[in-house]
Amino acid sequence: MGSKKSKENLVKMLNIHKWFGKVHALKGVDFEVKHSEIMGLVGDNGAGKSTLIKVLSGFHRADEGEIYFEGEKISITSSLEARRLGIETVYQEQALASHMSISRNIFMGREPVKSLGFLNKKVMNEESMKALESIELHLRSPDTLIAMLSGGERQGVAIARALHFKAKLVILDEPTIALSIKEAREVLEFIKQLKKEGITAIFITHNLYHVFPVAERFVILNRGEKVADVEKEDTSIDKLSELIVKEPLAGETL
Amino acid sequence: MPLINLKMSYIHKFFSYRAANTLIVFVGLILFFAFFTPRHVFVNPRNITSLSKLMPDLGIVALGVGMLMICGEFDLSVSSVLPLCAFIFISLLKVNINPSFALCITLGSGALLGLLNGIITVKGRIPSFITTLGTMMFWRGILYVGSHMWPIGLRAYLPPGSVFEHIFVGKIGGIPVQVIWFIAFAVILGIILHFHKFGNWVYATGDNKLAARAMGINTDRTKTICFIIVGVLCAFVGILQILRMETFGCTQGIGFELKAIAASVVGGTFLMGGIGSMMGIFLGAITIQILENGLILMRVPVFGISAFIGLAIVLFVILNTYIERRRTR
Repeated sequence: MGSKKSKENLVKMLNIHKWFGKVHALKGVDFEVKHSEIMGLVGDNGAGKSTLIKVLSGFHRADEGEIYFEGEKISITSSLEARRLGIETVYQEQALASHMSISRNIFMGREPVKSLGFLNKKVMNEESMKALESIELHLRSPDTLIAMLSGGERQGVAIARALHFKAKLVILDEPTIALSIKEAREVLEFIKQLKKEGITAIFITHNLYHVFPVAERFVILNRGEKVADVEKEDTSIDKLSELIVKEPLAGETL
Repeated sequence: MPLINLKMSYIHKFFSYRAANTLIVFVGLILFFAFFTPRHVFVNPRNITSLSKLMPDLGIVALGVGMLMICGEFDLSVSSVLPLCAFIFISLLKVNINPSFALCITLGSGALLGLLNGIITVKGRIPSFITTLGTMMFWRGILYVGSHMWPIGLRAYLPPGSVFEHIFVGKIGGIPVQVIWFIAFAVILGIILHFHKFGNWVYATGDNKLAARAMGINTDRTKTICFIIVGVLCAFVGILQILRMETFGCTQGIGFELKAIAASVVGGTFLMGGIGSMMGIFLGAITIQILENGLILMRVPVFGISAFIGLAIVLFVILNTYIERRRTR
């Protein structure tokens, strides 16, 4: 573990522990994400994926462990701070206001303003269209309400938002979970575009068929422990799915 | 052919405009009452003048309440904050404080009362419906005890014809100044709501609080500021009413809490927050008061009027919900 290695890692999490009351949700997870890779974080429901990612995005604080970002040790205490570092999360509970326009959503909380805090709508509209086009999402107008978009397009808007704010790391928390097959495929295309833009992404899901074609490396969590960390060429969907459902120890099963 | 398309798109645009339904009903009601009130008394200049003196009272309060509703919260305490602030104002005049200074203190008191509603709601993590139900009853009790429920005449403390009075209840070119205040507040709040980043926060907070928070919007502060705005507007109207009626009465503003919500709803504001417009609220506040006035002029028994207003509100919400569903399809 020389300094050279930590340099090529964008994120490094060491020995992360998290308890919720008596539940030991994360049991000393080590976790790395390399620069401009798309990493698949896979595991069954309750495996600890979301908890791990919420530690990274500032929603939860780890009870133990260290986090390094771009080689520097950090402590993330709020989602605002995570965003300041360049960590953007696309949540599974789509973080969009459905009765607001696309451009108002993209700039929600970070509105470009003229003097006295008045919205610069021209910049908002132009920049949102640019952001959408950068992930090959072609929508008619930045004034369209989110409620009028399909589920896939909505995730696209959320991803475009992360992209626009020059995220160094985009965390996609179950981005395909509530979508139809066609919509999910759209979202996978957006994620491929992220890669083209050279952005690092963590794709969290329990659907191997969604993540496998897109990601380059897979980390598998099982009951709060990391059970695998493999490159795509060294594994297959079958091998991965076996690891996801495997009981950690035979003696532990009831 | 392109001309027809152009026209169609204008018509389409108009109907997709959120305040459009309210505007149609507003114009429809005016025409209806203009034709069908006995001797067209509805459009009689005297009726219009008295309407324009009365309407801003509820209207100004409704502007704030509507904005707060877009933000996803309610304020039932307006009907107590308003007379309490009026009482503060007249009490200050009683002890010989300069009216302008008294005005500032009263508006400040309104702001504090709004701030209190906001802090209790946000920090106590309880629905504002409950918070403001509590503060409504609390402040009314305090007011009744403090004022002994006696009316207090204004003239003993403020001689008629002062500049101060003219600024609030005088006339400019035959138009009651109250109307100008009402429009001014609507324009200012409309600009804030639709063109300022704070307005973006208000909509985001009311539409999807979790998303707003995840995007770094301080939703608690946004809500609290909206509560403060309501408080200040209540204080303003409290003073306005004292100056107009030349007396303080502890039943000022009674019933405003629900009427303001009704006005907002008629103006296309959704009870769940996130949807509404300042133009809609403005028109909604006028519409329900025109309805009331028109029905009285048509000799509908005064005590039966609330039946019509109730009916109108329900029909309106059904209409708005239907249109909103079609818009987003």
